Amino acid sequence: METDTTGFIKTKKNRSLMWFLVPITVYLLFFFLYPVIYDIYISFFDYRLGSQAQFVGFGNYRAMLNDSQYMGSLITTMVFVVAAVVAELVLGMIIALLLNNEHPLMQGIRTIILIPTVFTPLVAGLVWKALYHPDLGMYTYYLRKIGLDIGRGLTVERSSALFSVILVDVWEWTPLMVIVILAGLKSLPKDPYEAAMLDGASRLQIFFRITLPLLRPTLVVALLIRTLDALKIFDIIWAITGGGPGTTTTVANLRIYEVGMQHLKIGYAAALSNVLLVFGVIAGVFFVQSLYKGKEA
Amino acid sequence: MNMKRLMGMAAGMLLCSTMLFAGGKQEAAAPAGGGSDLPYAGVELRFAVMADQFADYTKVLAQEFGQKTGAKVNVDILGYTELYQKITQDFTTDTKQYDLLTVDIMWSGEFAKNGWTEDLTPMINRDKAEIDYDDIMPVTWTLGSWNGKQVAFPMAGYANSLIYRKDLFSDPKEKSAFKAKYGYELAPPTTIKQLGDAAEFFTRPDENLYGLVANGARGSAVAQDWMEYMRSFGAAIFDANGNVVVDSPASLASLKFFVNIFDKWAPPGAIGYWWDDRETAYRTGQAVMQSSWSIARAGYENEEISLVAGKTGMTPSPRVEGTAAEYGFGGWGVGINADISDAQKEASWAFIKFITGKEAQKEWMLHDGAPIRRSTLTDPDLEKQMPWLGEILTVFENGNGDYRPRDPNSNEIQSILALRINQAITHELTPEQALSEAAKEIKALK
Repeated sequence: METDTTGFIKTKKNRSLMWFLVPITVYLLFFFLYPVIYDIYISFFDYRLGSQAQFVGFGNYRAMLNDSQYMGSLITTMVFVVAAVVAELVLGMIIALLLNNEHPLMQGIRTIILIPTVFTPLVAGLVWKALYHPDLGMYTYYLRKIGLDIGRGLTVERSSALFSVILVDVWEWTPLMVIVILAGLKSLPKDPYEAAMLDGASRLQIFFRITLPLLRPTLVVALLIRTLDALKIFDIIWAITGGGPGTTTTVANLRIYEVGMQHLKIGYAAALSNVLLVFGVIAGVFFVQSLYKGKEA
Repeated sequence: MNMKRLMGMAAGMLLCSTMLFAGGKQEAAAPAGGGSDLPYAGVELRFAVMADQFADYTKVLAQEFGQKTGAKVNVDILGYTELYQKITQDFTTDTKQYDLLTVDIMWSGEFAKNGWTEDLTPMINRDKAEIDYDDIMPVTWTLGSWNGKQVAFPMAGYANSLIYRKDLFSDPKEKSAFKAKYGYELAPPTTIKQLGDAAEFFTRPDENLYGLVANGARGSAVAQDWMEYMRSFGAAIFDANGNVVVDSPASLASLKFFVNIFDKWAPPGAIGYWWDDRETAYRTGQAVMQSSWSIARAGYENEEISLVAGKTGMTPSPRVEGTAAEYGFGGWGVGINADISDAQKEASWAFIKFITGKEAQKEWMLHDGAPIRRSTLTDPDLEKQMPWLGEILTVFENGNGDYRPRDPNSNEIQSILALRINQAITHELTPEQALSEAAKEIKALK
């Protein structure tokens, strides 16, 4: 009898608690599931905003294969993501290791280092556009002053434009990497280090044999966050180069924006964005699996 | 109250609030003034205005209109790309965010074809005397006209002109040096050949002086600048029968000239310039000449923003030798959103008549406005302060509003050119390849 009552209470309590899920369920249905389903649905239509939609099956996806601008933009996106995220990871690790001590100055430095992340990417883009200005920019001036050959300007030469926008992303998001890695470093156990030092291990050996393996979950999460974010890159490039010169800095989101928001071809833009979404999902699954593999190990 | 009920209420409130905030702008109240002195008291209008030099004073005119009629006109100033995007999305989603909007001459065909803005023809015919129809320069009606419909009312007319440093062009030393080198007198260019010679002559990188500057950055700015040169070469995007001829020999010659500007005569960074950068290059004395719209002319005399005050001359843009005098005309019309209520439309029409009326136009011209009326262009008071009005009149009298085509696909055409022309000047493609690609893509739009 006692067991039955407890079970009943538990069930009743669980039913009541179920109501707490209502807001997030409503949120997910309206703001996530519906847009995604509609996005997939509309990608099968030739739909220009303001005109009647016509079902074309996989026509938009077939057209995408012949869209050299979009295919090129996917490659540019991949180059951007790999270069920016790897640079942010390496720099983030180095800076985090430097900041990982208890000197009183470190607290202030940790705060200052976060400043770039406070800027919205569009504002950061506009500020860097001014700094990079091919004739009046401060950086342009000093780079030429020290005798560096930057051609007609960093952002207008095809050889340096992509590098220039990657640099801005690295400037803005390396601090996030620093903070995440620093938090990971702070949470590492002390024992393995003491044991390694007693065994006479060098600093490099300690870093590669102890710190890196222990930091793996933290690094995977940091990489996941930044990779998905970098895949969505738009604002910085829109503000600084507008995708040019030529197609040098045209990432996928810029092409999707052009097709959807400027040419109002919503169906086709939906197809293009779905492909980018697939890349995001693949990256997400890859990193999450790495996380579990790490745990199993 | 038990937990179940509480959560039920919370979920209900969340849903209600979602629906509440999902609603669009409420329909503005109909005119409540009736026969009072303020016929549009209670009416609220929202006006999307291009962020050109004239934009700020539009707010002052909106206030004056409010004082006279009781209507409240909210002015939103938007950049070129943002303006097109916002208003087209407003039209296609029927959200009625804007009652009035500035319309680029290029958008006329698209707006007319889709019925996005009200056809003003009946109202123009009804109020012909009141608007003093004959005083409005004929070419300005291309601002908004398409297939017999007037989807925007002329508001700000721009003359495509060559802006040049008159102090340098009249300098005796420069004149004699030029004559010695080229065999003819240095004078403001009227032909493309003279333009090229003068650009070459004044290009002196050691002195940080460059002969001719244009917009090069990928985007609408480079497309529009090239289209101006293209028409000066007698070329066009479409021929009289609507065939795509953007890759014609004349068009190719114009692109080769355009590429030369960036390779030989412009400041090194011009390849990344937008309109404001190009203007800065001229205003800071770095560039000697530029092809520009007359809306910027008054600013060159403002010492706060110009280092070349008192040193600027303006003349209709040079053309290829032997072609008829035909100059680029552009600018902005003002249209009424076709989705809004009749009461809103009537108030919007009253506002259009007010800001384009003789009195307001004169006032507006003194505050960075642009003319549409003959009486404004020949006003003795204005001429005293703006001696360049005669040059604008010449362009208007020989103006062609199709310098940039008013085709219903104009925005996409511009987008195609925005990339292909940029690829030509950055040498990613040869001029032949760039125009061939552009022609292929523009044909595919039909």
